[in-house]
Amino acid sequence: MALFITKRLLMALATVLVVAVLAFLLVHAMPGSPGAISLGAGASQEAIDEVNQRLGWNDPLFTQFFSWLGSAVQGDLGISLIDGRSVSADLASRLPVTASLAAGATVLSAVLGIALGVTAAVRGGLLDQVIGGFVGLLVALPAFWVGVIFVYLFAVQSSIFPATGYVPFEVSPQDWALSLALPVITLAVGGAAFIARQTRASMLEALQQEHIRTLRATATPTWKILYVHALRYASLPIVAGIALQFIGLFGGSVIAEQLFAMPGLGQAVQTSVSTHDAPAVQGVVVIATVVVVAVNLVLELATKFLDPKLRAS
Amino acid sequence: MIPTVAPAPADADQAGTTTPAGTPARNAGKAAITKFSRHRLFTSPGAVAGLIWLAAIVIASLTAPLWLPFKTEDQDFTAVLSGPTAAHWLGTDELGRDILSRIFAAAAGTLGTSMLTVIVGVGLGTVLAMLAAGAGTRTEAVISRVTEIMMSLPGTVIILAVIGAVGTNIPVVMAILGILMSAGIYRVILGQAKSLQSQLYVDAAKVDGVGPLRISLRHVLPGLANTIVVQAALIFAVGMLIQAGLAFIGFGPPIPQPSWGGMIQGASQHVYDAPWMMVPTGAVLALTVLSANAIGNALGKAPNAAAPHLPSAAARRQRAKAVAAIAAAAPKPEDQAAGDGASHSAAPEGTLSVRNLSVGVDSAGAGNGVRLVTDVSFEVQPGTVLGLVGESGCGKTMTALSLLGLLPSGVSVTGGQILWNGRNLAAVADRDMEAVRGREIALISQEPMRALDPMFTVGYQLTATIRRLRGMNRAEARKEAQSLLEKVGIVDAARILKTYPHQISGGMAQRVAIALALSGQPKLLVADEPTTALDVTVQAEILSLLRSLVKDTGMSVVMVTHDLGVVADICDQVAVMYAGQVVENGSTRAVLDHPRHPYTLALLAADPHANHADDMPERLATISGQVPQPKDWPSGCRFAARCQFAGSACLEPVPLLPSGTGEGLVRCVKADQLAVEGMDWLATDVPASRALQVTPRQNLRTLNTIVEKDPA
Repeated sequence: MALFITKRLLMALATVLVVAVLAFLLVHAMPGSPGAISLGAGASQEAIDEVNQRLGWNDPLFTQFFSWLGSAVQGDLGISLIDGRSVSADLASRLPVTASLAAGATVLSAVLGIALGVTAAVRGGLLDQVIGGFVGLLVALPAFWVGVIFVYLFAVQSSIFPATGYVPFEVSPQDWALSLALPVITLAVGGAAFIARQTRASMLEALQQEHIRTLRATATPTWKILYVHALRYASLPIVAGIALQFIGLFGGSVIAEQLFAMPGLGQAVQTSVSTHDAPAVQGVVVIATVVVVAVNLVLELATKFLDPKLRAS
Repeated sequence: MIPTVAPAPADADQAGTTTPAGTPARNAGKAAITKFSRHRLFTSPGAVAGLIWLAAIVIASLTAPLWLPFKTEDQDFTAVLSGPTAAHWLGTDELGRDILSRIFAAAAGTLGTSMLTVIVGVGLGTVLAMLAAGAGTRTEAVISRVTEIMMSLPGTVIILAVIGAVGTNIPVVMAILGILMSAGIYRVILGQAKSLQSQLYVDAAKVDGVGPLRISLRHVLPGLANTIVVQAALIFAVGMLIQAGLAFIGFGPPIPQPSWGGMIQGASQHVYDAPWMMVPTGAVLALTVLSANAIGNALGKAPNAAAPHLPSAAARRQRAKAVAAIAAAAPKPEDQAAGDGASHSAAPEGTLSVRNLSVGVDSAGAGNGVRLVTDVSFEVQPGTVLGLVGESGCGKTMTALSLLGLLPSGVSVTGGQILWNGRNLAAVADRDMEAVRGREIALISQEPMRALDPMFTVGYQLTATIRRLRGMNRAEARKEAQSLLEKVGIVDAARILKTYPHQISGGMAQRVAIALALSGQPKLLVADEPTTALDVTVQAEILSLLRSLVKDTGMSVVMVTHDLGVVADICDQVAVMYAGQVVENGSTRAVLDHPRHPYTLALLAADPHANHADDMPERLATISGQVPQPKDWPSGCRFAARCQFAGSACLEPVPLLPSGTGEGLVRCVKADQLAVEGMDWLATDVPASRALQVTPRQNLRTLNTIVEKDPA
């Protein structure tokens, strides 16, 4: 187990490093030098060159990367070319928004998805087909389209939830929850459908196992077979599915944040890519990767902990 | 070595019923058409609708310039933000542009670039998987690590960074998306590619010196075709969604050019004043994604999923109806008492009497009412062991499972009675069977490792069962669990209680499974080939354990086996089953020493243990052919096609009649004649003169097949 954790930690570290290199190279492939971007149109070539020189743009790529990595490890991701603010500080203020969004959507899709999937597998028959059709529809609906429809239904037609904006938790927990509601539900629609499918398949597989027959042969009550034994057996692939889903939802937050005007990481990616703000793009890619990799690591360890074969070894 | 007549996979009894029929050659052409139209793709209404929709979209978008009523940039300021009208079927946007025209103008680009993702993603994933499967474990490890990293990346964020570098060059972006998605496809395909690589014919090709590339292309790739198509359809859908999502947040094709995501984005700006605008584009996008998914899902559906051991609620309701019908059809207790002579109340405690039991596939399912067991009767007296013996596929396991009401989903008792202490269990509702299972009738099954729940310790499984069945508290149950384990011959019971099933050996697991079965102090133990999956030395130990348990506890046993050695060893009575019928029964001594049915003769002649060392024949007999599929059962003797003694009389239905001398019954018109003439089953192929021409197809099979020996 300890060896396994060490291996996984090294893998996670390698992943982040690979992404850091990748982000660095992509940013360097962006059109325009940092000087030209930060000074904007109409700046003189000398001024641009002066800024580029100061930022080390003309240094060899290796030097640039390692100097960036050196500061990044200490928590300094550089300075935005557009507004001159610290990228780290900006991202630190944005992370809670995206984290609440992605975590909320993951939890909601897990709860809904497991409930739907277990119901479909356990009840069978017509209900299974209805849920299957419903889930198939949800998978096909684009999240951004669903989001706009929700805005129309719950914010325009009836103002249950605010249409856009984000209220920090510190300001008002109640408004925080209300402001998150629509984006979270929007993201959870597709996520829940995905997890419902995974859960249904895993539950059915669990119910095909021969030990289920042993349980019936020893007069185990049906609820216990379903919700203690079969669900326990199915829990491994379900948790693995949730982990995969988190990655997707974290990415999906780009769209949700744009749609609901939320100041999160997704919005930062979108604006910094549009404005060619190299340090910001690089920073946000790396931070997003660190979050996703860390959450995945935790969920993967949880999966392994659920499996007696791995836990015992 | 304990010989067996026919080694077959564990669940052959069950699996046999779903095997599709062979197609006669003369109908090959017609069959090919039928087969094509019955292809999974065409039997799913969703997939057919999806194919039609996709084809329509592609054709409409390719021919768009020819028929579109408006150019994509035509602005009609008299009809801005209009709903559907005669001029604008799907309405107009904020600049008065025709939405229908724009949707179809955008379709070609959207579909084409999504195909790019499919080609790159599925292509790369497949190549990587075939490479990893073919090139050895080290390469596989490297590729798997890399794809693991790729899968744990926030793909959307990376794609956006790529857009930052290359701009909104949609084909390049979609190709890179394909690279990111190839990791997931690799994961899906790898397992299958590996199993194809380990097939014997691939090994044979390698020995023949066929190069790895050729092996991959000739032997592995064709096997992957269906999976590849499934993945392609699903990735196509994801590609469209991501592409539209990118356009929605402003990274679509350059401005005047229409795109589905961009159009939805434009519509979302007017959700307050013109909500209709959301509908057409969203619906077209959703329907297209739905179509691709439907096709992928229809192709990807496993054709023969195993039946669940706990049927769904819907299936249980159906079963309950069938049980109620049986209960209504069964003779009333008073009639029975009158008709049988012996009243059921007179049956001694612990007597099992199975009468005319029939088991069949439910007519609602795919099997269409196929009979698996017909008219089976036997009695088990308290403290005795009955052997149900026969080849795999004879209905032994189905018969045994029906005693506990544990037939697999889609299979149920269709007639007859299972009288346990005079009560007809075939007519007892599943809920009420819970009072019988474990407490009165218990089960041990073939594969002990699979019979125990891998997620819980032996101790938990045992104590939970003991508490439930015996109403003990936790501490008492724990103590009882330990003493049960000791009773089944486990020395370090305290340690075993703490282990998980994967930590103990097969023989140990079977002892645990027996302890589990004993935990409710049952009167009858149903043992479904309890020794088949075990090593030979362990088999003997388990048998002697069962024998001593019968002696000590006075319980009776129904022992399902294909092993005559087991029958001779432990059974008091034996019922020989063939093709869903009992063909001969009686006391073990009578049946083994004086077999009367040709099938029993053949089984004994094929078993080296049945012969004394000095008269061991030079050649063991075989029974040519195989047990017929239930749907192929003839109306006459079901063994006739394989029988050395069959004649024209065997084409008529054969009743189970008392055999001339003993107390048993036999189902053979020639039984008396064979006994008088003292004929034996010959250890040669069936001479043509003695073979019965039943049907040409069956004879082709029967004459050429050699019965294999059990590898154990």
